[in-house]
Amino acid sequence: MNCKELAYMLADYFDGSMDPRLREELDDHLSRCEPCTAFTKTFQVTCRETRKLREDIEYAIPTEVRERLETFVRTAALKYPEKVNEYREQVERDRREKAANLVRAATAGKLSSATSSLVENHCSACPECREYFDALTKTAVLQSADPPEGIRSHLIVLMQALPPGEDFFLA
Amino acid sequence: MSDERWKEDEALLESLRKGTPGAVDELLRLYQGKIFNLAMSILKNESDAEEAAQDVFMTVIRKADTFQGNSAFYSWMYRICVNTCLMRLRGKRRNETVSIEEFMPVFTDEGMHASPMDDWSKEVERDALNEELGRMIRKYTGELSEKYRIVFVLSDVEGLSNEETAKILGLTVPAIKSRLHRARLYLREQLSRYLREGKAG
Repeated sequence: MNCKELAYMLADYFDGSMDPRLREELDDHLSRCEPCTAFTKTFQVTCRETRKLREDIEYAIPTEVRERLETFVRTAALKYPEKVNEYREQVERDRREKAANLVRAATAGKLSSATSSLVENHCSACPECREYFDALTKTAVLQSADPPEGIRSHLIVLMQALPPGEDFFLA
Repeated sequence: MSDERWKEDEALLESLRKGTPGAVDELLRLYQGKIFNLAMSILKNESDAEEAAQDVFMTVIRKADTFQGNSAFYSWMYRICVNTCLMRLRGKRRNETVSIEEFMPVFTDEGMHASPMDDWSKEVERDALNEELGRMIRKYTGELSEKYRIVFVLSDVEGLSNEETAKILGLTVPAIKSRLHRARLYLREQLSRYLREGKAG
């Protein structure tokens, strides 16, 4: 093991996931290498000091922001009972739209590579969805982008595995 | 995450669904600090973070009813927060961030440390500059690009496991681990330079 390897293995070393034989090699290197000893010690101190920040971080919200936020959320929540049906409908509309967009992008061959592999992965385990997507690609003509609920719910779960903020289609 | 937190979340979700009085207060009590901080660390601007936090809580209240429960409640909420913030960042001029590459350790072709290593660990323990160090850690973390910053905040500040962070961000555990390690290597280097310059000055 050289110094470079050691530096990049420190994560495994400190979280305990390191293979015992490698750990022995690392310890051996440390006992003979002054720069690595300094590097490792300062790395450890950095991690420790960072963890300390956790203790007071919760209070970092400014009082006036806290008050405004509380007022806003409480007021909005008061309207919740009269709006609950509207919210439900909206959530349902969002779901439908999301699934329909995915189906449209799939038909147009415009899924991003991450989404394609998610869909492929899922279809290899789910005959229902595989059949649906096979039919889509065969006909190549879109009768309806609105998949049945069973498939829709699978697609929604599938899209949740994408990194936040990432488009599932190619521009 | 602890069982206790999980139970607390379950109860909270249930009372949000039922519209129990006090549910929203409980939601705010448990999460407004965390959500605001997460938003702050991504957006780096107080008024943007405040608006994002409002959006997050509205989304949570609206969707609590239809939340599927296939992930933990808090991780669902963090995900909504990350999503909301990233959407806000789109089209905006990004904050200046440093290139993490410039702060990775440098090695010779043989894989040995290319520059002398200063051991300042004892100094930190001895001197009462911990508060100062905390301030510097925050400053340096803030200068990371959001790719690293979000991972760093969820793992090291929020104390989530790599598995939880991976789920929230839709990344693999090895990817999280590698980003986190690079963020820590970066911080170590920044602190080294800071302490060295402090001594020189």
